[in-house]
Amino acid sequence: MSHLFDHHGASGKGYSQPAPVLPASELSLPDTLVRKQAPRWPRISEPEMVRHYTWLSKRNFGIDTGFYPLGSCTMKHNPRVNEVIAQLPGIADIHPHQPEHHLQGLLSIYHEMQYMLEVCAGMDQVTLQPVAGAQGEFTAVRCIQEYFRLRGEDQRTKVIVPDSAHGTNPASAAMCGFEIVEIPSRVDGRIDLDALRAVADETTAVMMITNPNTLGLFEADILEATSIVHDVGGQMYYDGANFNAILGITSPGLMGFDAVHFNLHKTFSQPHGGGGPGSGPIGVKAHLADFLPGPIVKKRPIVGDEAKHAVDDMWFGWYQPTHSIGKVQQWHGNAGAIIRCWAYYRRYGNGLKTMSEHAVLNANYLRHVLHREAEAAGVGDMIVDGAETKVAKHEFTISLEPAKERHGISAMDIAKGLLDMGYMAPTVYFPLVVPECMMIEPTETESKETLDTFAIDFAKVLQVDAETLHAAPITTPVRRVDEVYAARNLCLRHPYDDE
Amino acid sequence: MVDQLPNLGREAEMLATMGMSSMDDLFSDVPDEVRIQGLLPLPDPQSEEEIIADARRLLGSNVALGQRVSFLGAGLYRNYVPAAVFQLITRGEFLTSYTPYQPEVSQGMLQAMWEFQTLISELVGLPIANLSLYDGSTAAAEAITCCVRVHTRKATQKDTVYVSELTPPDRMSVIENYCQGAEIKINMLRHNPDGTVMLSSAQDAAGSCGVYVEQPNPIGVLDGGLPLLKEIIGQNTALIVAVQPVSLGLVEAPGAYGADIVVGEGQPLGSPITGGGPIYGIFACSKPYLRLMPGRIVGRSIDVDGKEAYCLTLSTREQHIRRHRATSNICTNETLIALMGAMHMSLLGPEGLRDLAVRNMAACTLGKQKLSAIKGVHLPHASSHHFQEFVLELPGKASECLSYLDGVGIVGGFDLHRWYPAQPNWLLVSFTDQTKSNEIELLAAHLEVWVASQGVTA
Ligand SMILES: Cc1ncc(COP(=O)(O)O)c(C=O)c1O
Repeated sequence: MSHLFDHHGASGKGYSQPAPVLPASELSLPDTLVRKQAPRWPRISEPEMVRHYTWLSKRNFGIDTGFYPLGSCTMKHNPRVNEVIAQLPGIADIHPHQPEHHLQGLLSIYHEMQYMLEVCAGMDQVTLQPVAGAQGEFTAVRCIQEYFRLRGEDQRTKVIVPDSAHGTNPASAAMCGFEIVEIPSRVDGRIDLDALRAVADETTAVMMITNPNTLGLFEADILEATSIVHDVGGQMYYDGANFNAILGITSPGLMGFDAVHFNLHKTFSQPHGGGGPGSGPIGVKAHLADFLPGPIVKKRPIVGDEAKHAVDDMWFGWYQPTHSIGKVQQWHGNAGAIIRCWAYYRRYGNGLKTMSEHAVLNANYLRHVLHREAEAAGVGDMIVDGAETKVAKHEFTISLEPAKERHGISAMDIAKGLLDMGYMAPTVYFPLVVPECMMIEPTETESKETLDTFAIDFAKVLQVDAETLHAAPITTPVRRVDEVYAARNLCLRHPYDDE
Repeated sequence: MVDQLPNLGREAEMLATMGMSSMDDLFSDVPDEVRIQGLLPLPDPQSEEEIIADARRLLGSNVALGQRVSFLGAGLYRNYVPAAVFQLITRGEFLTSYTPYQPEVSQGMLQAMWEFQTLISELVGLPIANLSLYDGSTAAAEAITCCVRVHTRKATQKDTVYVSELTPPDRMSVIENYCQGAEIKINMLRHNPDGTVMLSSAQDAAGSCGVYVEQPNPIGVLDGGLPLLKEIIGQNTALIVAVQPVSLGLVEAPGAYGADIVVGEGQPLGSPITGGGPIYGIFACSKPYLRLMPGRIVGRSIDVDGKEAYCLTLSTREQHIRRHRATSNICTNETLIALMGAMHMSLLGPEGLRDLAVRNMAACTLGKQKLSAIKGVHLPHASSHHFQEFVLELPGKASECLSYLDGVGIVGGFDLHRWYPAQPNWLLVSFTDQTKSNEIELLAAHLEVWVASQGVTA
């Protein structure tokens, strides 16, 4: 084990720094504000520090380590040139309060990204400000809330979400002050139009839905759903976490949606190690554009001596929408993430459709070979489809309910068994509507060989006896972690000796 | 694109395995009415070399602060971040992982974040810290909604908080957006002419759910009166203090003077400014807030063999379990940037942090000496203490002064007219560990020229 707080060595000076421009004795602080006890941080030299974090990294699994089929998270390869670009001083060393003429390159990239996302989503205006999917949801629902307030439709107090929705959907709408109405999905996982009709009325503000849905199924009735909501005067919100299935194939705009967020860190590969950072731009139809958080970027031809600062002979400027809800992040969103996603998009350009096709190809192929290999190994009856469907989109679900009922093997057991085989486990127990659910999303950046091998290994795990699986994993840095112990014996920081 | 898709050219083979004949078969469930016809109106795919060349061209046209002499801060600061941080953060095991849902193969990130929690906890003087929120503004906003959840039942001023009137409008706007859904009433906490909190105004806040102040505050003032605040507002009103974390190398940890929640922009520890993101928001609190706080948190536990192990804990507060009753909607956060913060903090150590704080404050003190000597400029808060920035009151518009300085290659600071409409002549000048004394001389010399051009005889 390597423990950061075991290091008390080094010189006690930290890494070496130049002398201050004035001696410390010339600085003055009010007595009440002088720090009395220094933070009990470690004292560690650079070689020790590098070794500590390298050791930690070796105890962590990333896409670079191996196959990462974590459903709903689109864990695709992160092209490395994007990291190099994001470290250029023209992005790393710029301040959001610099004047426009210092930032023409950044603004032109923002403009290009707004346009690209508008085209992909079939929306009229995009803002890049929200910094994660959940914040995008919150932002769009806030815009819709102000839209209704301006129209005097204050009675619209409800937001409808399917029970298969991601937890952020109801959480974001509730943060805006809406009442949540949850509707059940049909047995095949798709939206229940009758259930929707039964709740949609003049109190409906928004329906939030993702398509393909969280089971990886395309909602073929989507136009019917949008018209039910629009007929009662409500707005349709598209959770874009599953965009990887549809780029260039269909768009929320064509499906009748009014607002949408992107999870750029998923679809456009911003690395989000350990859980972030993300980027969650939103796009809206024209009637909502005035409510977006500002500023957004507009372009116009250059005038006067602007040429000396301009790129591509256009002037890119910040613009405040007239009825803007204000800001959701203090600066201009996660600019560094936007740049990486721009570099990513440039690689595909109008070929983004091919990317989505391959995401869907890989998911369907894996779904097929997974069942095939399980059948061949005589364990095909331990898994069933999470929802019946001919084709899935970029991800699919299976249920381990038969394995659970017959052998007492849960989805979690299989997940742990997969860890022993050197894989990241798929998402488990989400969506909540599928019992013993496993949600598998291979992404387009995995080779056929990886998918084939995974299917064979998956079948091997299905053949392992319950007792062994309950004890899995055994090859990982630690074995099954006791989460109940963690919650009962809260230890949220290093316990110092005198504590 | 071809270098990113391993199965290009193998479609037929894979489709045949599934008994399909064309890629279109995969989309048979997408109705024609919603199909995009033709290609997206976007440019052709580019190679890596073309992309990096265009990135260099476009980003190269931005003015990077390092190319200039810069005094622009106002919430984001250009500190030196050691090279080891950038080298280590690109390790694929960190970079390309995600939320540690499977703790057995995520021990590295989990332990690193538990260590981050400890580092932040020690820094601010509170026992609990989460793994980061999006930025300082959302951390402030979530702290405010959190304190209302905790205190409103017993509060005499229900659903009410007091926020420093100096809070920058952009940050205030985030706070308002986060508060409006819970119908939280935001009152202004007043400040004295010297920039410190008006303690009589703080008395009005007693019995409310919380008070939000910043230390140093948005005009750079270190407020020696803040340690009195907790006693004035009382146990049932949360004291929320936003900090610039580097200042805590010298300045008292808010936890030591009664703060219940500490938030802040983590950026100066570990991250370049990066146009304002991705950076990370600090969120730390005392025990009473633990079960109603936002964000992810790591606990130390054991595995089945009794071996030390780490995992996410207290998840029942979060959206994936509690859905619309969650304490926050946050899911994806800023962990990777927080990890950069942890690495920077580790390398600094307690004495290194102090030295870093001294360097920032020394530059500011020197700046104060040099700039206050210029005839015609005035320091409205001269009697107060400053950590790394202060206000200069100019004999003309700050915006015009900035344009002049820009013309001579100096990013002169921040025009406070953008925050405070009544102050067209206020310039916020910021100093960091990167500020050299000759740069301060240069700013002073050019300011003198500009001031003279305003026809001022002091
Ligand atoms: C379907 C779905 N919706 C919304 C979100 C929320 O996005 P984020 O984590 O970026 O806030 C996620 C991902 O976590 C998701 O999978």
